Amino acid sequence: MAETNGVHAAVDIPADKAEILARPLEERDDIVVCENVHKWFGDFCAVRDVSMRVKRGEVVVIFGPSGSGKSTFIRMINRLEEHQQGRIVIDGIEMTNDVRNLDAIRREVGMVFQQFNLFPHITVLGNITLAPQRVRHLPRSEAEALAMQLLERVGIPEQAGKYPAELSGGQQQRVAIARALAMQPQIMLFDEPTSALDPEMIKEVLDAMRELAATGMTMLCVTHEMGFAREVADRMAFFDEGALVELGPPDQIFNDPQEDRTKMFLDQIL
Amino acid sequence: MTARAAPAPLPPATTVGLQGWLRQNLFSSRGNSVVTVVLAVVLAWFVFNLGSWVFVEADWTVIISRAPLYIVGLYPYEGYWRLCICLLLISVLLGMSWRAWPNAARRFAFGFGAVILFVGVFPHEMAPEHRALLLLNLPAIGLGYVLTPRPADASPGRLEAIAGGTLAPALERGAIFSTPRRMISAALVALVLTMILILGIAGVPGLDPVNPQDLGGLMINLLLAFFGIVCSLPIGVGLALGRRSSLPILKVACVIFIEVIRGVPLITLLFMSRHILPLTFPEDLNIDRVYLAGITITIFSSAYMAENVRGGMAAVHPGQAEAARALGLRDWQNTLLITLPQGLRNIIPAIVGQFISLFKDTSLVYFIGMLDLVEMGRVSVQGNQEFIDNGREVYLFIALVFWVFCFSMSFISRRIEGVLGVGRR
Repeated sequence: MAETNGVHAAVDIPADKAEILARPLEERDDIVVCENVHKWFGDFCAVRDVSMRVKRGEVVVIFGPSGSGKSTFIRMINRLEEHQQGRIVIDGIEMTNDVRNLDAIRREVGMVFQQFNLFPHITVLGNITLAPQRVRHLPRSEAEALAMQLLERVGIPEQAGKYPAELSGGQQQRVAIARALAMQPQIMLFDEPTSALDPEMIKEVLDAMRELAATGMTMLCVTHEMGFAREVADRMAFFDEGALVELGPPDQIFNDPQEDRTKMFLDQIL
Repeated sequence: MTARAAPAPLPPATTVGLQGWLRQNLFSSRGNSVVTVVLAVVLAWFVFNLGSWVFVEADWTVIISRAPLYIVGLYPYEGYWRLCICLLLISVLLGMSWRAWPNAARRFAFGFGAVILFVGVFPHEMAPEHRALLLLNLPAIGLGYVLTPRPADASPGRLEAIAGGTLAPALERGAIFSTPRRMISAALVALVLTMILILGIAGVPGLDPVNPQDLGGLMINLLLAFFGIVCSLPIGVGLALGRRSSLPILKVACVIFIEVIRGVPLITLLFMSRHILPLTFPEDLNIDRVYLAGITITIFSSAYMAENVRGGMAAVHPGQAEAARALGLRDWQNTLLITLPQGLRNIIPAIVGQFISLFKDTSLVYFIGMLDLVEMGRVSVQGNQEFIDNGREVYLFIALVFWVFCFSMSFISRRIEGVLGVGRR
């Protein structure tokens, strides 16, 4: 992907990832498998009968009108929402009520939120080292070295000692990305990561995401940044009224949508 | 010649300085001016009358001649030096706090020093050795200040102050809290030493045990309040966590405890602890009323504290818990590391309000026959033909003492809020 998109060609890619990336998408294994997934809030069906397979290293952009179930869908992938029917398998681990499975899945999946959700009472460095120390039981020195490396990567190592409130929105969101990456996940979920940002800060966050995509990270992004989608996404998924209406490469979605609803929505926003 | 920029125009004289302030705040309109003048006259009249009474007519012998009774009750005279040592320990701690958290403690240290100096040089009857020990508090503050290393990073918004004051022992491990452990250990050591010095140990020469019933005056108010404050916060946190728990039995037990205690006046609880609870004790068990009072006040206060803490935790944004879960933290880790610290920070004003009301409530222990400051005042007026007309002096003095302590707590609370940036995110 790094080569095809021509972004950040200089990024270091680990050997195992490089090997996977060398293969075309269709020859890679499925890292996320969703089959006939349903979710209700009371009587309201928020997600209906969604089936989707995501390949290792693939970037999927999920878009659709508000209330279409796209956020609920990606929140089911790390169990912030429980699916009530159907089947979800993450990197071979079946999503059940078993706590051990859940712990394993949460370790596989990192998440970035619209509102950043940084912990305001601890420093940037503390935010990033917290979970590696408490969940992965890394020694403090190792966790801090890792954190500094990640801050370096998102371009704000000088902010390590500050508190989140002292940072701009774009910087906070980049810290949130670093915090999720510190758990060394296989999959990253982005829930409208730029929607709460001022326009001049959107770019810095999208750049960090582009760079991440170039390293072969599997990414599911709910976003309305269509430029980013066109450039980075391998496939795009259009949600409406809780259902997955159309799933296809950006080319098809933008130039030749197969569904009328996709076309209507794109006509409205572009 | 170089062109010079014209000097920036000055604001009109009527909007700045003393004149501007007066105009804006006191005389901004005709009605406002009338209110200002009328209130100023009333206030001057009030202050003049009170002042002439305080400095001319009032007879303060009732306070000065019996000062030890108001301060330490019936504590044996031979043991006064032990209390002086306790005060010295407190001074050292105060000096340490001044160095560690200058914003919160500096003015308080000045105020404390001023009171010590006033009492130390005031020409009243006081043994020279006690006077010397009292004045020694001033260098003790300095000693504490010098002993403490300068805080490495004094940037605002640091968590040390709250961690040091509340839940540090449980949470300060790891990178999250770089709490000055030294302060906490020093405070704990001082606490233990103080208890030993005040109550004494049987068999140790010079440290003869003191009958707990002889503790009285301001000292018993302070001891009960301090004990209540130190114990009710952790118990209250525990009850709040229990009430939030998903285990039904624990939850119901905590709810019942909180609602029962909150539904009964403190004075009733004190009465029950003194006259009803002992009926359930084995016959040879005799717990002194001082301890019963301390436990009762603590329990009463923790029930209110629990509700404060629960409210503070409920106010933490739900996104915080989601982020913690997404990172793989367990529920208990989320509670201890994310929700509770933020919740406590939210409720510092409420916690301090609770402490202030707890301190004032300690005067209710007169009801079970203890001679606290207020009761001591009543006794010295009503039980003494000589002072029977000096009630005003006594109660004014008592009010002033309570006000000084409550105001100090309130002042420090506002300082800590400032340091921690409560109200900012």
